[in-house]
Amino acid sequence: MTRLVAASLALALALTVGLSAQAKKYGKPLTLKDSTKVSEIYASPDKYKGKKVLVEGPIVDVCAEAGCWLAIGSDKEFQTIRFKVDDGVIVFPMSAKGLNAKVEGVLEVAMLSEAEQIAAGNEMAKEKKMPFDPKTVKGPKLSIQIKGEAAEVK
Amino acid sequence: MKLHKLNVILHRDVGYLAFALTIVYGISGLAVNHRADWNPSITQTKTTMAIAPVTETERDAIVKDALAKLGLTATPRNVFRPDPATLRIFYENLTYSVDLPTGKVVIDRTTPRPVLKEFNDLHLNAPKGVWTWIADVYALSLILLAITGLFVLKGKNGLTGRGAWLTTIGVLLPSAYWIYHLYLE
Repeated sequence: MTRLVAASLALALALTVGLSAQAKKYGKPLTLKDSTKVSEIYASPDKYKGKKVLVEGPIVDVCAEAGCWLAIGSDKEFQTIRFKVDDGVIVFPMSAKGLNAKVEGVLEVAMLSEAEQIAAGNEMAKEKKMPFDPKTVKGPKLSIQIKGEAAEVK
Repeated sequence: MKLHKLNVILHRDVGYLAFALTIVYGISGLAVNHRADWNPSITQTKTTMAIAPVTETERDAIVKDALAKLGLTATPRNVFRPDPATLRIFYENLTYSVDLPTGKVVIDRTTPRPVLKEFNDLHLNAPKGVWTWIADVYALSLILLAITGLFVLKGKNGLTGRGAWLTTIGVLLPSAYWIYHLYLE
């Protein structure tokens, strides 16, 4: 009996270690082989607008409210791109922060008005329980995000 | 076997099987219903501390200096600079945001809520895969429970008596609210 328990524990441990080393998959399987650098997307957004892209990078933020988006760090400093998924379709855990991700989806490019930026800023401030000053919004701003379908986190 | 007896047995046994998940989904339902006001799966705590300003200019040197000043010896999962003045250092469920010129540090710690996180993950089908099928079977069993439940009792407390009134109220409540929501709210 003791041997059986020990063997079961060893098997469970081996499976846990094995599984934790594997990438955790979310949503549909990735289909693209070649990734696009985030800096390239920012350099020529119109080239990738409406197209499916695969992006790799560190997860630098996660939607705390519903796990419905990731912020992926760029290959270039001071740059991130948002990977947005439909609420409930994929739920990213907060514990994914700091891990590396491969995300795939369609690139959305839109010009946000001041009012839209203020609304988004207020929503983010509420979610993060941090202050937001609408006066920091000055003029329309280009918004670039990937509408997500598939992700792997490791 | 008589149809009524079969219905009662079905209602009873499926009810036993669905008991645990109904509790899980019910508790999680209450929790996620109010997620605009709180995070039902994790607790987030922010604390602050101060270190000496980080004056290095190269990325690697900045990271090394910040880690030393924070007294952190473990290798972080990742580091990232969202802007020239900020360094974020990531560990599991722990993020240090260092304001480099001032040395002000915000430590963001997330802790899963025991039990509730697991309940919510199951309810929101976070695991996907096989769980999707289990949740589908559970949903079908709830439909079965609702239908068989209508015919458990006979007589004045059954569907031809008191049951009819209560069932009608149960149908009218969501219908009336939805009409209100669509046209009056």
